[in-house]
Amino acid sequence: MSVVLGIETSCDETAAAVVDDRWRVHSSVVESSIAEHHHFGGVVPELAGRAHVTTIVPVVRAALESAGLDVAHPAIDAVAVTAGPGLIGSLLVGLAAAKAYALSWDVPLVAVNHLEGHLFAPLLETPDLAWPVLTLLVSGGHTMLVHQTAPGEHEVIGETIDDAAGEAYDKVARWLGLGYPGGPPIDRLAGEGDASSLVLPVSMTGDDLDFSFSGLKSAVVRAGEKRPDLAHADIAAAFQRAAVEQLTRKLRRALERYDVAGVAIAGGVAANSALRAAVTDLAAQFGVVAHVPSLAMCTDNAAMIAAAGLSHLARGATSALHASADPNWSLADVS
Amino acid sequence: MSRFTAGPAATEAAGEEFARLLRPGDVVLLSGPLGAGKTTFVRGLARGLGVRERATSPTFTIVRQHECHNDLGIATLHHADVYRVTSLDEVFDLALGELVEEAAVAVVEWGELAAPVFGADVVTVSIAVTSDEGRTIDVDGAGARDRAEALARWAS
Repeated sequence: MSVVLGIETSCDETAAAVVDDRWRVHSSVVESSIAEHHHFGGVVPELAGRAHVTTIVPVVRAALESAGLDVAHPAIDAVAVTAGPGLIGSLLVGLAAAKAYALSWDVPLVAVNHLEGHLFAPLLETPDLAWPVLTLLVSGGHTMLVHQTAPGEHEVIGETIDDAAGEAYDKVARWLGLGYPGGPPIDRLAGEGDASSLVLPVSMTGDDLDFSFSGLKSAVVRAGEKRPDLAHADIAAAFQRAAVEQLTRKLRRALERYDVAGVAIAGGVAANSALRAAVTDLAAQFGVVAHVPSLAMCTDNAAMIAAAGLSHLARGATSALHASADPNWSLADVS
Repeated sequence: MSRFTAGPAATEAAGEEFARLLRPGDVVLLSGPLGAGKTTFVRGLARGLGVRERATSPTFTIVRQHECHNDLGIATLHHADVYRVTSLDEVFDLALGELVEEAAVAVVEWGELAAPVFGADVVTVSIAVTSDEGRTIDVDGAGARDRAEALARWAS
């Protein structure tokens, strides 16, 4: 049995986890610096980097301890770490720590793409899941549709041409004065509003599987300026309806084109209640399994990084100790 | 120098034509309210510089680099977005000043805040919302003055 320590520091969460090759999570620790960023309407890169420096060692220690491992000489087979995409200053902290641990414990280093990590999240909750799976990966930095035929076998079949869905949530939330991250407060406020009080466009960008959220963001701002009487709850409800409608329409289109056993949602926006309900509904209509992850598995965590690392390790794909971070590492470039 | 655009496609086209006026080493500070079309303008600008992939919003990673293919001597486009950056200290910490390179052009969205690190010789592009779809794109700055004729043609 292989056991891997995963480390994740691509954005504002410092996380470490221990996972084995039967996709069992022995421990998963996440420390967020989100409170420090709240006032700024988004992650402040320099603050995030500094926070990782102070939390990385205690977080790794806690993950090893709660997995019942010796913190000085843990019985692990590799250290997997997020090497991109993400904020460069944040990525470098995790990568440097992972290299130091790999060197001192004499185990291989496995550099993992953060987005590939998200694709492994459903497997950690359903280890015997049936393939292929269509995954809608939605977060503050990314929005894409991925067709997976097996763990580590994936193809990006659609992505945003401008803003990420989560970015639209964050920007609209900041514009409404709701703080960061924007998803949870908009989701809450939308529940109190009337979505039909404002008609917003659902961008479809033609016949493809790509997304566009820039126009929706602009439409919200323009409508709000033109009709200052509109209640914020109504704006939030209309925005959420248009955003979720676009995501589910594209997912429906993908389901019509790809013969799959299941659909999954992953990434921070997968925590959104309207999206979770819509995807569960859609899966039922197509007679496929819906993999709607627990909230802890939607947001950034290191268990998913460890899982992706295990898949690379099984194929002997380890990384050199001079591996570098790539803030723009595309999922399409992951082999 | 100002140019009116009637919609996103026209804003993108204005960016594409504006790219032809750029020179290696240029820094463009792009400003305008949320939803004005800054990223749309840059998408056109990137195409004008011969960037082959799509220039999407760089908000999440702050800076994206694109390889260019053109006859302007510009090999790299640095596309930055300092929307989330809140103080000048952070602009220094991010070393945004290092984006100024001999064979590169830097375009910085929400660039007003970052202006002090780029010196006086910048080109400023401000996008104002004039109606639902209509925008006025204003080009100014010390860096723009020595190409006034070309800019006038761009604006007309």
